[in-house]
Amino acid sequence: MTAQAGAAGVAIAVDGLSAGYDGAPVLTEVGFSAAPGRLVCVLGPNGGGKTTLFRALLGELEPLAGSIELSGRPAYMAQTERTRLDFPVTALDVAVMGTLAHGRWWLPPGRRERDAARAALERVGLTDQADVRFGELSGGQRQRALLARALVQDAPVLLLDEPLSGVDPASATLIAAVFRELRAEGRTLLVASHDVESARSFDLVLCLNGRQVAFGEPAATLDRATLQATYGHELIVLEGGRGAVTVQHHEHGHEH
Amino acid sequence: MPSPTDLAELPFLREALFELVLLAITGGVLGAWVVLRRLAFFSHAAGSATFPGLVIADASGVTPTLAGLAVGLGYAGGVERAGRAGHEHGEGTALLLVAALAGGVILASDVFESGAAVDRLLFGTLLGLTATDLAVSAAVAAVATVAAIGLGRTWSAVGFDPDGARALGLPVARADLLLLCLVAVAAVAAIPAVGVLLVTAVYVLPAAAARLLTASIRGLIACALGLALAEGVVGLYAAYWLDVPPGPPVAVLGSLVCLAAALATRRTAA
Repeated sequence: MTAQAGAAGVAIAVDGLSAGYDGAPVLTEVGFSAAPGRLVCVLGPNGGGKTTLFRALLGELEPLAGSIELSGRPAYMAQTERTRLDFPVTALDVAVMGTLAHGRWWLPPGRRERDAARAALERVGLTDQADVRFGELSGGQRQRALLARALVQDAPVLLLDEPLSGVDPASATLIAAVFRELRAEGRTLLVASHDVESARSFDLVLCLNGRQVAFGEPAATLDRATLQATYGHELIVLEGGRGAVTVQHHEHGHEH
Repeated sequence: MPSPTDLAELPFLREALFELVLLAITGGVLGAWVVLRRLAFFSHAAGSATFPGLVIADASGVTPTLAGLAVGLGYAGGVERAGRAGHEHGEGTALLLVAALAGGVILASDVFESGAAVDRLLFGTLLGLTATDLAVSAAVAAVATVAAIGLGRTWSAVGFDPDGARALGLPVARADLLLLCLVAVAAVAAIPAVGVLLVTAVYVLPAAAARLLTASIRGLIACALGLALAEGVVGLYAAYWLDVPPGPPVAVLGSLVCLAAALATRRTAA
């Protein structure tokens, strides 16, 4: 069951969620909530249920059990690997696609849509690349163009699927700055990531591994036992006990 | 060598010219999406799938257009359903192609003894285009143009990033089904002029060449439209001059333009 978040001060509330494909659950026992203006890092191994959770939040998967409450239709930023690099669209075209979320998909984009898209591109530092084809942008610029498409939707909740994966340091800094701005605007972000260390800078962290392993503030949540339960043998704990990295066996190469 | 003005002056050529112009309009606006959404094989198969039905219709007096439309739309619905279920349909399409062509030939030669009708169905004809053929082509061109204007943004978003498009709340499944149905109907509309085997000459080759020469969707549609028109008119003139069905010259011309575009862009890239 998906519903508008009723209680004031809650952007997203998930209770007893179980979701999966063809009736078989791949994610169970998920229950968490986040107020407006919170950055939530969603950690988990590949196949741990991060994308399944996002698809359930987007309403693409009917929950097998439990309920979801959202304060509005969420915006979604897909992984760049899922996009077609040979498609003849510019960064501006991609950002303009975000205006389709407002309905009226049968009408050509007007000045208002283009202005909103240009403003979003400016926000992610792509003003000069607005007319560059998406496939010709660098990895980090592509992520920023997809982020611009999500920004244009003006949604209270944003779901971002590994937005920092494979980006250059400059893009990572810019994207992190946009995240902070969005938080200041009262938007809630769920950011899927493999990076345990960067998760420590978020307000909240949700650990998934087929089920909800933990949810809470990073300092209280990201201990060795939780990370071990989340990542299993993919976790390597560094000397001194504080640092931890995950070794992901990705289709598109390794991530640490 | 006949005069090019014959195309406008001789009634049967004028009708064929009108038909090819209508197909070129469809080929321009729809062909761009056929190429962008990787539906070239589908458009070829949709045309070929109708072959046995057309042979039966031709022999039994049923309106071939109706039989073709029924088969084409049924095929499009099946492909969309298979795609939605996540099934690969390449092998299924290949099987259907072989079965449809072989079945059609057997029906035509042994059952109905259709004779010359087979050539006409496979490669098109200049003669005997009916008012119904022209009306169907005009209707398809109009619907394709309206659909491309109204659904172009959705088709683009889905083609670029299906997950993102779905998350935008777009009617992805319905837009895809409509595109497949339009391509199938367009393929059926092209059969009287270019034949079931050469539907791709109108709907794939001009857009494939345009894809190489342009960098935007709008440019691709405009270029595909221009090439489809030029190839249709020149191909029709060549067919009249060489006394062959119009399908093969239009297809040869389209292939040469595509090849030239590939060579030109490769040279530019190098």
